[in-house]
Amino acid sequence: MAAIAVHQFAQCITCHAWSPDHAMVAFCPNNNEVHIYKLIQEKWEKLHVLQKHDQIVSGIDWSVRSNRIVTVSHDRNSYVWNQEGSEWVPTLVILRLNRAALCVQWSPKENKFAVGSGAKTVCICYYEQENNWWVSKLIRKRHDSSVTSVAWHPNNVFLATTSTDGKCRVFSTFIKGVDIKEKKEGTSSDTKFGEQILQLDLSFSWAFGVKWSPSGNTLAYVGHNSMIYFVDDVGPSPLAQNVAFRDLPLRDVLFVSEKMVIGVGFDCNPMVFAADETGIWTFIKFLDERKTSSSGPKYGSQFSEAFGKLYGQSKYGVGNDAVESSRTRGGAHVNCINCIVPLREAGSSRITRFTTSGYTWDLGSQEDLLNYL
Amino acid sequence: MAGAEGFVEADNAEAIIIRIEHKSRKIESLLKQGKPIEALKTALEGAPPKTQDERCKSANWIVVHRALMAIKDVDFMFSSLDPEYYDILMKYLYRGLSTGDRPTCDQCLRIHEKLTEKAGLGCILRCLADTVNTV
Repeated sequence: MAAIAVHQFAQCITCHAWSPDHAMVAFCPNNNEVHIYKLIQEKWEKLHVLQKHDQIVSGIDWSVRSNRIVTVSHDRNSYVWNQEGSEWVPTLVILRLNRAALCVQWSPKENKFAVGSGAKTVCICYYEQENNWWVSKLIRKRHDSSVTSVAWHPNNVFLATTSTDGKCRVFSTFIKGVDIKEKKEGTSSDTKFGEQILQLDLSFSWAFGVKWSPSGNTLAYVGHNSMIYFVDDVGPSPLAQNVAFRDLPLRDVLFVSEKMVIGVGFDCNPMVFAADETGIWTFIKFLDERKTSSSGPKYGSQFSEAFGKLYGQSKYGVGNDAVESSRTRGGAHVNCINCIVPLREAGSSRITRFTTSGYTWDLGSQEDLLNYL
Repeated sequence: MAGAEGFVEADNAEAIIIRIEHKSRKIESLLKQGKPIEALKTALEGAPPKTQDERCKSANWIVVHRALMAIKDVDFMFSSLDPEYYDILMKYLYRGLSTGDRPTCDQCLRIHEKLTEKAGLGCILRCLADTVNTV
């Protein structure tokens, strides 16, 4: 199955987000602007250019119900954009960071958003009605290095973060006046803001791309060592699974359902992981099947040549015929995929379509994967 | 605190080296019996976990090297080697390649080619990315 729609917006897309009705897409073309395109009669037209940041925009998120865009940039600032008429009006959010902001996500209730930064901190921002501005509260403890990715639990309070110190952590972001304390036993001790609930030290290398499953029961994140980690029953006694796979590391993941995860990364091809009835996660397949099969090693041209030179030096002259002439990898993407965003149908918790920076994919047409959804 | 840890390390190191010597004798006997793959598995098993002591690592490397050089049929080796050994074998292959010794490098290259085919680039990446459990 190939991607169902391929849109070439720019040479390089840093991050992207869809509008609530999926008619518009906002992305950063690797500079300090945010472009918003709208699909008008089968053609994508550039509608707005949001220009406020001084450096590259590293994260964009578009809230579904309140139709607000939040952008964060390497210039250590964040703007919340509200649509007034035909214009997008920015509101500066003072994050109080002294390093670049790397990622952002609206909380499920859209009253807060989290920003991960290179300053080893996470900013939780919420709107203060009296002063009519967004306030940022920092989680300064615990992280030893840049926070690469953040993900909100469906309960709007727990936040999972991954960092280049190789660890994945879950924090409570309970804010008085914004969150309502739930009368559940055993949770009162955890609801202090910035309290670390869990630290997962499964990876020996940088960790990226953390996501919660739709129910919030499972956590998935990737390490730069070509492994993906699944953690069930996040809490006092989590069950972790390390899945090592054959190919280049992933950068981001997406839970399509409770039992299926799509990972994207340096292999330019989305990978599907699924859990069987016993809860064991394994790699299923690549989504893009345009890779031509051959008898030799299935690598792209540059790898074949490099390996050919490496093995050719051996006295026994092994496998010199494994050097293939330039062959493209096939597939929709030609470079690393940085982010994967779902196209959610309103009111449905199943995700059957998603986009990876610039390409739209439809899972619905994949017969063999449907039983995992 | 560091002192106490160092003391425990030294103790542990002696115990590990004795274990490696036992392994070495077992491997010699397996090789005499003509079972090079069993020998390699024994060598790779129980590689010193999380020890910073260079002597332990070198001792284990010598043992693994002995088993590696005895392998003649690389394809056959892979048909009976379990995937759980792939990552640790890859680490030792790179250690072998770094010695610069011609026969060792030749053997390591031959095994590396087949191992990459079997285990993929991910195996190489895991070996490179893991700076904590080095061999």
